[in-house]
Amino acid sequence: YEVTLVMETKEGRSGDTAVEDIETWMDKAFDMAKDALQNGEVPVGCLMVYNSEVVGKGRNEVNETKNATRHAEMVALDELLNWCHSSNLDVSRVSRNTVLYVTVEPCVMCAAALRLLNIPTVVYGCRNERFGGCGSILDVSSADLPQTGNTFKCVSGHRAGEAVEMLKTFYKQENPNGINAYLNLPFISVLLLFLHLSFYFFSPQTKNEEGLIIHDHICRMIVLLLLIKDFFKLHYVT
Amino acid sequence: MSNEEHIGLMEPPPKRWKGPMCVTEDSWVAHPVLSDEESQDIEMIEAFAAPIVDKKETSRLVRELGSIHPLNGLEHLKRVRAVKDKASPHSLEVLLCLVHDAPDTEAPVSIDSLLSSAVSSEGLGQPFVVNVPARAPLTRPQFELVSKQWPTSFHEDKRVTLALKGELFSPEQKARMQSYMMSAVAAAEAGKELGMEAVGAAMVDPSTETVVAVGHDCRADHPLHHAAMVCIDLVARSQGGGCYRFDRYPSCSFTPPDSDVTAQPYICTGYDLYVTREPCLMCAMALVHSRIGRIFYGTGSADGAFGTKYKLHSQKDLNHRFEVYEGVLGRQCEELKK
Repeated sequence: YEVTLVMETKEGRSGDTAVEDIETWMDKAFDMAKDALQNGEVPVGCLMVYNSEVVGKGRNEVNETKNATRHAEMVALDELLNWCHSSNLDVSRVSRNTVLYVTVEPCVMCAAALRLLNIPTVVYGCRNERFGGCGSILDVSSADLPQTGNTFKCVSGHRAGEAVEMLKTFYKQENPNGINAYLNLPFISVLLLFLHLSFYFFSPQTKNEEGLIIHDHICRMIVLLLLIKDFFKLHYVT
Repeated sequence: MSNEEHIGLMEPPPKRWKGPMCVTEDSWVAHPVLSDEESQDIEMIEAFAAPIVDKKETSRLVRELGSIHPLNGLEHLKRVRAVKDKASPHSLEVLLCLVHDAPDTEAPVSIDSLLSSAVSSEGLGQPFVVNVPARAPLTRPQFELVSKQWPTSFHEDKRVTLALKGELFSPEQKARMQSYMMSAVAAAEAGKELGMEAVGAAMVDPSTETVVAVGHDCRADHPLHHAAMVCIDLVARSQGGGCYRFDRYPSCSFTPPDSDVTAQPYICTGYDLYVTREPCLMCAMALVHSRIGRIFYGTGSADGAFGTKYKLHSQKDLNHRFEVYEGVLGRQCEELKK
């Protein structure tokens, strides 16, 4: 699955956050998020749109850079700054007229950074229950912080379910300490094999024909169920 | 008293005087920045209590009151208190119930109206209203304050008590902390020379007592390159990552990558940050994401997120908690603002 991001210029329509615009730009933000997922990063993607032109795009790249602040929005803000410098445009004039499209609610850090750059509007998909800075943990977007730029407007909910599912997929495969780590197939299979053998050698009850057969059946059933479960999980990720 | 003696009393001479720029460790105190629950006064609520006239009834009263008026959510309160005033005719007083839980009765309240018919008021005197703390005290100052009103249980965190008294860090530790903050101050001054905001920061690995990275504000280049953000990226570079180049700034430096990758911590886990000014919300959350160990800052800032506007390190919904201290080399850091 190749992610191609088309940098489109001047699509013609006016009105920064019309419904069709939201769909178009969010599509591309989701492409960025998928790219993050495929690269082992938290699946969040975003786009900075100024005057119907993409002036910055980003996806999470924390693991790649070993810098925990490299969230999609921070990457995109860097692109926006570079774009301004190369186009010889005033950063504050551009950022004051830029809309951010992001698959997940910006975290507290990113929300503060967006304020510092005076981004006026943020369109996001799902809430960020862990770190959200637009109301989930703190409401940085509207807080009274005179030294931290301007407040910004939020439009939320577009393809929220899809954004949540991507995050869930990531955290399921990521967390090495979680219960899921112990529920993998090889681990369970080895455990069952041990149980099976110990029953066979040490338990006199299972030595009769009938007991062994039932025991075998149960083991095979569990392995089959796990196989089915894993098949669906894999199917679901890709 | 002569003038000389007076000065001598007011200001003891510095122990080690090495020149006008010398600062001793006892010129500053690292104050812990505690959560609101730990630092604010505890809300008091009104309750009915009554003197125990007949001491023999005490255990019966405690048992029976416990069943008709259990102290739900107020388990920190002691049911009975000793009367300190020796002139008092009775030596014990018992908590009956909260005023807002009491059955509606006209004043003056009689003891029988507060007890159900199942409990005999024998041995009890005329009820009166007392103030009791609505929640358990978390620090010694809170405990001492509420105990004057009604006795409560208190599980003391000795570290917090020492920190509040300014006795948590030994003189040796303070000397090291001061030297780390000095390097942050020096970086801030170097940044100021280059036209940046006068803010500096140093990331320290306390387990090896080494400075991993030092940086200053680079806002003139990039509006988000605050000192803490610069330091975070410098640490990433020290681990073979990072995404900016601060090489043109001699005062932004890091310890070159350790050849043994397994010895590196995950991002800033376990590191201490010394920063001259209280971090803003962006930097504060960046430090949370970086799993910072502890933060020491010199002086507060207007929109600061570790004490002034927010206390991000004690934010309930965030899964990373850590200690924050302010006031390290406070006067020198304050002077940077001018």
